[in-house]
Amino acid sequence: MGGMHQILLKIGPAAFRIASAWRQPLEQLEALYQDYPQPTGEHVDFTVRLEPEKPWRRHIRPSVHIGGDFWLPDAAPLPLTQGLLAAEMGMNLQMALGWRRHLLLHASSVEKEGKALIMTGLSGSGKSTLSGMLAERGWRFMGDEFALLSLDSGEITPFPRLISLKNKAVEAMQQLAPADRFGPEMKATPKGDIRHLVPPKEAIARMDETARPTLLLFPRFGHAPELRDMGQAEIFVRLTQASTNYVALGEAGFHALTRFVDQVPTRAMDYQSVEQAEELIDSLWSQLP
Amino acid sequence: MTQKYRAAPKDDLIWHDLDSMMLLYHRPSGITHMLADPVPAIIEVMANAPLTAAEIAARLTALFDVETGVDAEDIVIARLDELRTLGLVSRVSG
Repeated sequence: MGGMHQILLKIGPAAFRIASAWRQPLEQLEALYQDYPQPTGEHVDFTVRLEPEKPWRRHIRPSVHIGGDFWLPDAAPLPLTQGLLAAEMGMNLQMALGWRRHLLLHASSVEKEGKALIMTGLSGSGKSTLSGMLAERGWRFMGDEFALLSLDSGEITPFPRLISLKNKAVEAMQQLAPADRFGPEMKATPKGDIRHLVPPKEAIARMDETARPTLLLFPRFGHAPELRDMGQAEIFVRLTQASTNYVALGEAGFHALTRFVDQVPTRAMDYQSVEQAEELIDSLWSQLP
Repeated sequence: MTQKYRAAPKDDLIWHDLDSMMLLYHRPSGITHMLADPVPAIIEVMANAPLTAAEIAARLTALFDVETGVDAEDIVIARLDELRTLGLVSRVSG
């Protein structure tokens, strides 16, 4: 890694080394992650490398190739102005493909009084935006991308990385959160217009505090507000689809996920605005045992 | 001679009841199967003995309500073929 710059980051239980041929993405990361603790010791779980696609492209119209311990062959190069996005995508990819200490669910999560609300669904369901919004309205933010389900205790461990806001969600969050918590604007990326938001300070300070999963929602944006019961078989199948490491964990994953489905009340939730979603969530939350 | 079948050893299988389906984790393959009736019952009545499809159908009829006018043995044979491709049931020779 001659000539590479690097920084270390700790997000929840995972430590990352981000190495980059360019300073700029690391400076942006450093600024956005300034309140996060440093990993203790030399050991990191994952290394993400941001390298020129071809050596000569480092200076001429540079584009970033994402590399790391685990990678997908189709991870497309991004322009250097989107280097921050490349780093975030690289970190997500390492977690998704390499993490084995928890059952990993593609889900956002927030917490109140030691109890976690988990929201999962396809891209566009609004799970990330909802978690960011709730985090500004009295909930502790635990993560917008991955919920880490403990294999033995059944608790959720936070993974409060930067909140990745897309398209209209950027404007909506700007009404709620101060300007100094936003990262640079990245227009027309492969994931749309993206802007990162630093989670509230409390979320970072308490990122080692687990919470008991208490309510699971499958939100769906753009439909008249409604809550629906779901059968356990459907919930189980959708959670295996939402997990990136269910198969890799084998029997431990089976036990963790069946216990989760047995214990956690679950609803499908349709909504057209954050206000509607908050009302539905509050009504469910107040009825929980 | 009539074909006999044997289910995967009990210790290789972990069952979990969901409301409308049965989950079955198969330890040797690491695969989770989601099974609908009557498949869990077929595996249950097979216990660990080599049985013909007719014997399995007879055990099912004795233990569960099986609709009259249905050829239980045909259904059992069709399900056993599916279970064989999943590695949950094997043919016993001899």
